[in-house]
Amino acid sequence: MRRTGVFVCHCGSNIAGTVDVERVAKEAAKFPNVVFATDYKYMCSEPGQQVIKDAIKEHNLDRVVVASCSPRMHEPTFRRCLESAGMNPYLFEMANIREHCSWVHPDKEKGTIKSIDLVRKAAAKVVKDEPLQKSSIGITKRALVIGGGIAGIQVALDIADAGFPVTIVEKEPTIGGRMAQIDKTFPTLDCSACILTPKMVDASQHPNIEILSYSEVEKVEGYVGNFDITIRKKARSVDMSKCTGCGTCWEKCPTKVDSEFDMQLGKRKAIYTPFPQAVPNKPVIDRVNCTKFRTGKCGICQKVCPTGAVDYEQQDELITEKYGAIVVATGFNQFDHSVYGEYGYGKYPDVITGLHFERLINASGPTMGKIKRPSDHKIPETVVFIKCVGSRDEAKGKSYCSRTCCMYTAKHATLVHEKIPGSKSYIFYMDVRTPGKGYEEFYKRTAEEYEAQYIRGRVSKVYQKGDKLVVRGEDSLIGRPVEIEADMVVLANAMVAREDAGDLARTLGISYDKDNFFTEAHPKLRPVETHTAGVFLAGACQGPKDIPDSVAQAGAAASKAIGLLSKTQMESDAIVSNVDESRCSGCMICKGICPYKAIDAKLITERVGGKMAERQVAAVNKSLCQGCGACTVACRAGCLNLLGFTNEQILAEVEAVCL
Amino acid sequence: MITEKMRAAAKELLEKGEVETVIGWEKGTFWYNSTPAFISKPEQADRLVFDEFCANNLAKYLLDYRNADGKIAVFVKGCDARAVNRLLQDNQVKREKVYLIGIPCPGMKEAPKTGAAQDTASLPLLAKCQSCATPNPVIYDQLLGDPVPAREVPNRFAGVEALEAKGADEKYERWGKLFSECIRCYACRNVCPACNCRECAFDANGLNWLGKQNNLQENQMFNITRAMHVAGRCIECGECERVCPMGLPLMDINRKIIKDLNELFGSYDAGLNLEDRPPLGHYKLDDPEKFM
Repeated sequence: MRRTGVFVCHCGSNIAGTVDVERVAKEAAKFPNVVFATDYKYMCSEPGQQVIKDAIKEHNLDRVVVASCSPRMHEPTFRRCLESAGMNPYLFEMANIREHCSWVHPDKEKGTIKSIDLVRKAAAKVVKDEPLQKSSIGITKRALVIGGGIAGIQVALDIADAGFPVTIVEKEPTIGGRMAQIDKTFPTLDCSACILTPKMVDASQHPNIEILSYSEVEKVEGYVGNFDITIRKKARSVDMSKCTGCGTCWEKCPTKVDSEFDMQLGKRKAIYTPFPQAVPNKPVIDRVNCTKFRTGKCGICQKVCPTGAVDYEQQDELITEKYGAIVVATGFNQFDHSVYGEYGYGKYPDVITGLHFERLINASGPTMGKIKRPSDHKIPETVVFIKCVGSRDEAKGKSYCSRTCCMYTAKHATLVHEKIPGSKSYIFYMDVRTPGKGYEEFYKRTAEEYEAQYIRGRVSKVYQKGDKLVVRGEDSLIGRPVEIEADMVVLANAMVAREDAGDLARTLGISYDKDNFFTEAHPKLRPVETHTAGVFLAGACQGPKDIPDSVAQAGAAASKAIGLLSKTQMESDAIVSNVDESRCSGCMICKGICPYKAIDAKLITERVGGKMAERQVAAVNKSLCQGCGACTVACRAGCLNLLGFTNEQILAEVEAVCL
Repeated sequence: MITEKMRAAAKELLEKGEVETVIGWEKGTFWYNSTPAFISKPEQADRLVFDEFCANNLAKYLLDYRNADGKIAVFVKGCDARAVNRLLQDNQVKREKVYLIGIPCPGMKEAPKTGAAQDTASLPLLAKCQSCATPNPVIYDQLLGDPVPAREVPNRFAGVEALEAKGADEKYERWGKLFSECIRCYACRNVCPACNCRECAFDANGLNWLGKQNNLQENQMFNITRAMHVAGRCIECGECERVCPMGLPLMDINRKIIKDLNELFGSYDAGLNLEDRPPLGHYKLDDPEKFM
């Protein structure tokens, strides 16, 4: 005989408006094992919780049912309430008579009957509940940051400053990311490199930061606080410990290749650092294009290297390290506009993207900061900017707004005006969106002081005519077609997720949306967490963001990681899968279907026919198990059970409702 | 003759002490019975036979030797070999603890209607052998005789397709009638190599959603649950249907599930090799998610 107390909540008028709560409590008092039932205006409030605590004492309750809202809302609240009253918090059930009843049913009579049924179900289950214990797990006080752009660098600096070791894994030969490619930053127009490179140097000199450039995350095992991460250090062909970064090798290298960093507008050598301020400032050999690797002849870089650092035999190296937290900051890519026939399918050399333009105006770029169009290096007099290329276009591109393009296009137009006297900029736009501090003022200045002409409308065609590009479109405000003969066209391509974002998400076990951006745990209240405990998000890998937003989010992700790492032990949930070893036959079907890799085989010894025999059974790692229950239905012998949701408990609920 | 080779192989293994028991077949009470034989001495090897009546799938008996000290030798036809793969994949036996002697199988015959002696050539093939696509063992340490050519196999889902074409009421009535005949002897379960739990859910105490009463409702629950518990792992040896004393068409249920799984997750034949995991025992990123 159990002593159950039932507490029915009015939730103001949320429940009481459509459910006769007093009648529910009166009926509940008649259920088997129920010794006390009452109703109260707000069960979750301080006095409401006191009602529960007092009743537990007065009526010597050993089980509690609260009929109120969804357990996602207040289950933790009531569990804490039970705990403070000296009860095991798992001897508790919630009947959801709000979301599942009062909010969806207008009929008070029927709603009341349904509420009674829901309470009956909870009261039947609660008597089968067993006291459960939380387990605790240790935490490795180290963080891994994937991606060394501005977001990754900021996260690493913040975590390192809090006193925890951080490793940055960057797949390019240097950290810096997209921000290193950019010339000026809106809305202040300070030089991107001037504010980024000091941070890069800080990161490289910080005693708590280790930078693994030209490396990728290969495998992630383990769980929050205890990730085992395998990192592939790609063969640089240069011994980092010997190289001094003197630059002799890349000066002498005879092979020239299009530079990825310069968006193919400039050249680099086959042994190279992407840009002069690279961190680490040590080169890699591009084995695809290096003459030595292609033909076996050359070897000049090895000959000229004063420290003998060039090593053609170097192999990829796999290292496995333990980390407590992971922050993903892998950034974004540019939308490929070759799907747009109206912009020439990416075939006209003088139709370029925003990032190309950044390299053209950058003082350390291929043109030394002179705006020259790629085809014939002439200085353009008329520049047309087209916004929303791939953004806000469900048919051919992405449905979302990329958020940054309005501002960087305004910036580009400003710079064109400043650098090319007598030039003219036209900007085709759908809307101008400038919701940031100082952004609207910047846009206004571009249009008014810097004489950029904003034309509201879409471009229907861009075509070559002599050495001009004719841009044909519509000015929808005056309802007339416009035609502009331009020297150069700059497209504001959408920000899209990295093409391998899905692979990384699967490696990490985090979710991603239809556009391959990583999904946060809650769009408002948990914006930097993922659904996988211990994995956090920063920067544009979670959705389009500008630099201020990325840095802000990086700080937020860092604070979450620091919060985790500052603990020595962490509690893990008690609602986990449990194996009945006496009946488990060790077939391990459950292992293959566990999405959290929480199940493994273990050997147990038992006495069989007077002899000791070894036998394999399944074992659940309680820290890894997320309580999804997939294994429990895969076990045909029924010896896997989800604690708190055992077969017997569920069946008790079914019987209470159906019989 | 296979029988001679069997005896020689068994004798040699037992004499050299390589195995402690050999599982094969011997003649039973009647001329049309060949029953499982368990021999542990070289001189017993002459009891072994291989003829048209060695229908029993011997693999399941390996479960009785889980804790044996030495190795167990077992003769395997095509279906027995797939059953061994089943047990290996389910981690019920260890490969290094069994010695497999493969026998290419020409197909087994039905017992005659009357006991009178007659020419075995005129007897029809067992139903389970008529639809068999793997007469040759798929796993063995030693093979006796030459592989037999693969038999021309009719569409094994023809029966299922015919049933699928019927209306829901008609199907319910048909299965209701059949399941009400089930006597819950559990022969189908006991003979099945995929039914290798330590304790069957139907024997367990306290699983109060599985009743032990012999009535239509519980019989339906039993028969469908049995088929679901071997879903994706059934090697189609047809032993369940062969041993059913009430002659229930159990392979129709198994094949319906196999057909559905093939349509959902791509063609899969359980027990053909050890590397391919059962379709319900793992997940792939491109698995269909029609229910979502």
